[in-house]
Amino acid sequence: MYRYDEFDARLVGDRVAQFRGQVARRLSGELKEDEFKPLRLQNGVYLQLHAYMLRVAIPYGQLDGAKLRRLAEVSRRYDRGYGHFTTRQNVQFNWVGLGDIPDILEFLAGEGLHAIQTSGNCIRNVTSDHFAGAAADELMDPRPWCEIIRQWSSFHPEFAFLPRKFKIAVTAAAHDRAAIAVHDIGLRILERNGVVGFEVHAGGGQGRTPLLAAKIRDFVPETDILDYLEAVLRVYNRHGRRDNKYKARIKILVHELGAEEFSRQVDAEFAAQGGHEKIALPQAEIDRIHAYFAPPDFVPVSAEEAALFDAAQAADVDFAEWCGVNLHPHRQPGHASVTVSLKPVGGAAGDATAEQMDLVAGLAERYAYDDIRVSHAQNLVLPHVPVVHLYALWQALEAASLATPNESLITDMIVCPGLDYCNLANARSIPVSQAVAQLFAETKYQREIGRLHINISGCINACGHHHVGHIGILGVDRKGEEVYQISLGGRADEKAAIGGIAGPALKAEDVPGAVKRIVDTYLSLRRGRDEIFIDTLARTGMEPFKEALYAAA
Amino acid sequence: MTSVRPKLKPDTPKAVTAWATRTGRSVWMRQDGTWSENVGEAAPFLGVEAEVRLAEAMGQEAVVTDPYFMEVTESGRIAGRETIRETIRATGPTFIFGEGI
Ligand code: HEM
Ligand code: SF4
Repeated sequence: MYRYDEFDARLVGDRVAQFRGQVARRLSGELKEDEFKPLRLQNGVYLQLHAYMLRVAIPYGQLDGAKLRRLAEVSRRYDRGYGHFTTRQNVQFNWVGLGDIPDILEFLAGEGLHAIQTSGNCIRNVTSDHFAGAAADELMDPRPWCEIIRQWSSFHPEFAFLPRKFKIAVTAAAHDRAAIAVHDIGLRILERNGVVGFEVHAGGGQGRTPLLAAKIRDFVPETDILDYLEAVLRVYNRHGRRDNKYKARIKILVHELGAEEFSRQVDAEFAAQGGHEKIALPQAEIDRIHAYFAPPDFVPVSAEEAALFDAAQAADVDFAEWCGVNLHPHRQPGHASVTVSLKPVGGAAGDATAEQMDLVAGLAERYAYDDIRVSHAQNLVLPHVPVVHLYALWQALEAASLATPNESLITDMIVCPGLDYCNLANARSIPVSQAVAQLFAETKYQREIGRLHINISGCINACGHHHVGHIGILGVDRKGEEVYQISLGGRADEKAAIGGIAGPALKAEDVPGAVKRIVDTYLSLRRGRDEIFIDTLARTGMEPFKEALYAAA
Repeated sequence: MTSVRPKLKPDTPKAVTAWATRTGRSVWMRQDGTWSENVGEAAPFLGVEAEVRLAEAMGQEAVVTDPYFMEVTESGRIAGRETIRETIRATGPTFIFGEGI
């Protein structure tokens, strides 16, 4: 993992000290809320329904045992003993007091954690594939590039006040697990004639105007990428709609100009950069950052050990079931990537208690080369686990309600905090997700259904990614009543699509039944178990699903 | 302001609610102008008096943040189209959370 140097530590330390002063002035009344709000947002502090909320950055979702333990300790000392992992691979604490936040930030800084650029109109946490550095299907590890972009974008003076927030995602795998099509910039790492470079997509986003990113460049060589990103940001900074918050994201600019014209302007900006302006990333620097992400010294796994793993599965059906669902193929023989589900049926997606965080931290150190990821599906991931340790790992997770076998299944939903916490919400998300999950609780049934992503947001801001859920659920306020709009056919991977609204909104109590009818329709129409929900839908179109959805309602 | 809430008519009873600046907890103004974390102590205000009370609250930046009107019944109970939101704000998330997980 990347280690911050003294320079980083000083920057973070200075920022904490500065914020401490600002908080003191707010508490004395010297600063009014209107003056303080932009300052607190720059430090990840929101004001929600019940309390302040602190969002802590987890760059590209990577943690180690010490960092996760530190998060656990924050939740224990300053919050209510739990944290909420988000689809932007960050963590949120829901109940912090403003007076405590400077101490929390100082405590986090001691472990190299911070809340910088987790809010406000700047370049936010760079997100990536949660199996980065481990997945069998990746070209190379995208994390060094996330780190390079993080360093370039952190405290970048020119991009501290963009027209609106800016989110960058990077993937290097055939299967896109980073949802690059719905980011302001999405980067796909490629190799051409031995040169590493990036396919660049721009102008994707969700919110009230969901748009997929357009490809604006086939290939930007690695040494040019920061200069190219700088050119994109400059064009956006200059022409983004500062006059209208709802039109301020880069997606609107790319859409209004057209991808071709946008791309032309970026190229012109890139060409106009003077020699003294060019970053022209030196190879030595690229190599230096890559060295931090060298794979762990994978222990060889012998044939006997692998046989033990097989025997354990043969002997314990629950373990075998979990292995069948929550393991992902690793590029190193004898290893697997493990999804630690934060989606127990009846729980709140992405929530983990301090004890659970401590446990996972310890397990990562003991069994998994001390590497932990937060996935954009709001689960934790142990990317590198030798198969010999899987049984012991599973037993420990199982005892802590962390071994729900549901990765990418119907109960593995992305769910925003909704009206239970969020000041912007129209309707609750979490209870709806719980009611849906109850209906599909049985693992066998979920496996029969297969891969199916349900995403739920409590308002049009779309923090719960409902636009790109295979089934999307959006909470709407209808004269004081919470109702839910269902959309179908969204997806966030390499075949990204925005879902289409299926029809009139439903009452909360009707949502689980509606989902059930959609699923039943799929099961009756599919051409076999290999045809997952989204593929059946693509083949048949929405009609049969709409019919079923509104038949009994 | 964090909260832009629906506008209420002058003759609609309303409580003044805000967040305690230090803790962020939701608070409601009592009849005597002090603040309570208990929604049951919210005082209903009407017409001009309500406006005066809100202005008073706005002048207390160090104590409370983002005060606004919340619709209530004549006896001060949460009412109107934001009943769900305000009830959740007053009583917390509607499912078991945190250490109860
Ligand atoms: C609870 C406090 C939160 C607030 C106040 C908040 C606010 C917002 C707003 C205003 C937008 C719309 C921005 C736009 O369209 O320009 C947005 C989008 C988004 N938020 Fe949140 N959010 C919160 C929590 C979360 C959480 C918990 C997650 C992760 C589960 C999240 C992830 C996202 C994502 C992925 C988007 C859409 C992507 C995009 O920017 O296009 N947010 N949020
Ligand atoms: S989608 Fe809406 S309700 Fe959900 S967290 Fe985002 S802003 Fe809040």
